[in-house]
Amino acid sequence: MLEGTIVDLVPFEDDYATYLKQWMNEESWFRARPFDRREPHTEHDVKKFIEDMEKSDHGQLIGFQAKNGDPIGGLLYDHEWTRVRKAAAIFFVGDMRYEGSDEVLDGLLMLLRYSFETRGMHRMDASVLAFDETRLDAYRRAGFVHEGTLRQHVRWDAAYVDLHMLGLLESEWPGYAQIAPTLGLQASDLEPKPKPEPEKKDEKKDK
Amino acid sequence: MLEGLLVDLVPRGDTFEQMEHKWENSEAHFWASAGDRVFLSHATIERWHTEERERSAHRHPKGVRWGIQTKDGTPIGDIGIGWVLPHLRLAMLGAMIGEPDYWGGGYGTDALLLIVDYAFDWLDMRRLWLGTMSINTRVVRQMEKVGFKPEVRSRDAWLVSGHGFADEIVYGLLREEWPGRDAVIARLGLVARSE
Repeated sequence: MLEGTIVDLVPFEDDYATYLKQWMNEESWFRARPFDRREPHTEHDVKKFIEDMEKSDHGQLIGFQAKNGDPIGGLLYDHEWTRVRKAAAIFFVGDMRYEGSDEVLDGLLMLLRYSFETRGMHRMDASVLAFDETRLDAYRRAGFVHEGTLRQHVRWDAAYVDLHMLGLLESEWPGYAQIAPTLGLQASDLEPKPKPEPEKKDEKKDK
Repeated sequence: MLEGLLVDLVPRGDTFEQMEHKWENSEAHFWASAGDRVFLSHATIERWHTEERERSAHRHPKGVRWGIQTKDGTPIGDIGIGWVLPHLRLAMLGAMIGEPDYWGGGYGTDALLLIVDYAFDWLDMRRLWLGTMSINTRVVRQMEKVGFKPEVRSRDAWLVSGHGFADEIVYGLLREEWPGRDAVIARLGLVARSE
């Protein structure tokens, strides 16, 4: 576990894997991954995504949760390019009660802490659909700089929409310990969700 | 085959694959790979080809890669679409002129005009894009000359051998902005010439 101010980062397993079956079919997922085709994700797709990320040499899928242990969503440290020392910083909010909250911002800050202070990255990339002010605000508060806009880059609900491209350099990252106290992070203090039903194991019918 | 004024785009057969060892170990690779320098054996390149063929057999949609040859049949490089997203009608372009003698003479531009027409008219793409190092002045000039718009400048996006970090400039072209290959040829004054 990596402890932040109002969230903690944890391995993406157990309840997270169960929640992801729902989260991966919701709006926040597709907003976080604008190049993906809008299609239903089956249990098999979800399992394969988690497995692929676990096996990946270029990324990490990380869960983030409130201090009371309530899972909020996922952080993707992705497309790591070690020679150039850059990677992509992506977050998705699974529990939409936390949309736009300081918990999400703290999750992103913790992802940047991991990227710059543990992985030694020089630059982090991000992209945001132009209409998505909430995501853009989180990246900006974390220090990302808008570097340009890809025009009509993504098909979204019967229209072609712009994609903002953002970057943050290690020289611009003050360090988690320095930036977090300046942002006045306030916990939402929401009631934890009911725990998901435990997975039913396939019973072998061998006789 | 796609026929241009100075070059033709052709299937990449053995002739092109044999040239790759020379091109990938040369200055051409540095510019095409965004500042990397490599030491590649014939065996490594052959393994790449095998892996590429295997991936291609299972991948849908496939990227498209053409060989570029001069009008007298000399292979000088390749150009193509490495990443296609049909649901977005979006394609990323990439190219390498492996032979330095053909840099700056309009050969790469001629190939680019062919691939743009091909992507819009045959593959029904709606938007094309590509990124290049800010220090790659030949490509920067070429993109803007042909009509691509600079949309993003990603700071320190590439580590360039011998230069340190360099910005990436990302260019985009929408189908509605493309007047067609003939109109661009006329505007640029590109003409066929004997070798």
